[in-house]
Amino acid sequence: MIHFNDVTKVYNGNVKAIENMNFTVEDGELVIMLGPSGCGKTTLLRMVNQLESITDGDIMLNGKSVRHSNKIEMRRNIGYVIQSNGLFPNMNIEDNAMIVPNLLGWDRKKMRDRFNMLMELVGLKPDEYRKRYPHELSGGQQQRVGVARALAADPPVMLMDEPFGALDPIIRTHLQEEFLQIQKELKKTILFVSHDIDEAVKMADKIALLKGGKMMQYAEPAKMLNKPANSFVAEFVGQDRVLKSMSLYTVRDLANALTLKPVMESPDSQNINENLSLRVAISKILNQEADQLIVENDNGTRKGSITLDLIEQFLHREIKESV
Amino acid sequence: MHDKFRRCPPITDLIDYFTSNFTFILGYTWDHIKLVGLAIIIAIVIGVPLGIYCSVNKYAASTILQIASIMMTIPSLALFGIMIPILSLINEGIGTLPAVIALVLYSQLPIIRNTYTAISNVDPDLRDAANGIGLTTFQRLYKVELPNAMPLIMAGIRTATVLNIGVGAIATLIGAGGLGGIIYQGILRTNNTMILAGAIAVAVLALIADLFLRLIENIFTPKGVKK
Repeated sequence: MIHFNDVTKVYNGNVKAIENMNFTVEDGELVIMLGPSGCGKTTLLRMVNQLESITDGDIMLNGKSVRHSNKIEMRRNIGYVIQSNGLFPNMNIEDNAMIVPNLLGWDRKKMRDRFNMLMELVGLKPDEYRKRYPHELSGGQQQRVGVARALAADPPVMLMDEPFGALDPIIRTHLQEEFLQIQKELKKTILFVSHDIDEAVKMADKIALLKGGKMMQYAEPAKMLNKPANSFVAEFVGQDRVLKSMSLYTVRDLANALTLKPVMESPDSQNINENLSLRVAISKILNQEADQLIVENDNGTRKGSITLDLIEQFLHREIKESV
Repeated sequence: MHDKFRRCPPITDLIDYFTSNFTFILGYTWDHIKLVGLAIIIAIVIGVPLGIYCSVNKYAASTILQIASIMMTIPSLALFGIMIPILSLINEGIGTLPAVIALVLYSQLPIIRNTYTAISNVDPDLRDAANGIGLTTFQRLYKVELPNAMPLIMAGIRTATVLNIGVGAIATLIGAGGLGGIIYQGILRTNNTMILAGAIAVAVLALIADLFLRLIENIFTPKGVKK
């Protein structure tokens, strides 16, 4: 658990970078801090592992004040991933990934097993990469190793500073999805900085939207999209926030909430798997590929059909519920 | 006799000189290597830590680099000369000690400046990552900063060495021996062959030393840092 307790950061005696920040990242939660540049999100992240000092207030990391912890020891218990991946060019991939276990004095066998396991986890073949050097890897591969390094000593908490920000969109999407899978399995407590609202909506359990060192809204993605706390939040999440919120729901969510329409065979109907998002469903309808979509589960059993007005009905209902 | 200074000695004279005085030249060369080698080792021991210190203390950096630059502007002959009265106080006015001290002072600038630049230029993201994953300052220095700075630090040491081999030839004037002795005797005897032989020996030694240090650099530079 990461608990921000009245955290304030003042530069040069008068410039307030962070003002009275109060919020909690619960165990196993992935919280994304979002905001325009200069809003203090990175500063706030770096205050957790004390790369930035805290002027006033405190951050409690699993109940312990970070101001009064031994910095070195604490940092070894926090996974840290940065945008440029920060792999050390002078070390091969295994040494890079295993640097924290090495500092902690693990034995060789344990480190080798851990390396093999982590590389499989991030989708790289351990033996192929072990002896290679960072500059021989692509950006995406380097960042996978960066994630593996952060996970090496199995820290309960991870800090990620725009970890996928420098990657091209296709690789970024891949890594986001893979990382979500890893997170589902490992349930780390993660504080994550991003400037990309779509990334936040897709990945976060909660989003913390900051502006000028102040918290604008701290809420689940659906709530933030459906019920922005103020005009800044509404503007930041974008005019198309309703569309964005649809990527949070699957066709199955709709099927569970509302009664599907009966299947009517027509040349304009198309099938859709119930695991796909509503955003995909509405795209298909709007693209005039179909005026009704027949919902199928993984076995191909038809459950009914959805139309534009059914989706509309569902969204109204969800917006009301998240109020 | 009168045209000795105008006439360049034929190449055969030179070859004769080298073959007939082989052990003599080798002895002088060995003295030269000892003198410069000792000076460079001391210069590294002083200069590299000073360069590292400069990279963490920018205020001290400008002062230290300024002083090292001033050392370089003193003509080598004058620097050797200054050593004589100072070290006479402890009865070491001439000989190896003043020569080594002068050479150490002379080689500080390239060593300090290159170490300072190399460490300062290590990617700030690497430093950030090193801090963030819990390396101590010392661990960060020897696990991350020094290995990545190695090529540039070694370049500074190479420059200092080549420089010192040249300057070391003048040290013979304060009785420190070395290849300068052959050149000096050549001047005294107006023997062009000797002057040329000494000069060639110095140049060859500098080339060999540079090659040798490149080899060392290659060994000490981590594989991932080599371009």
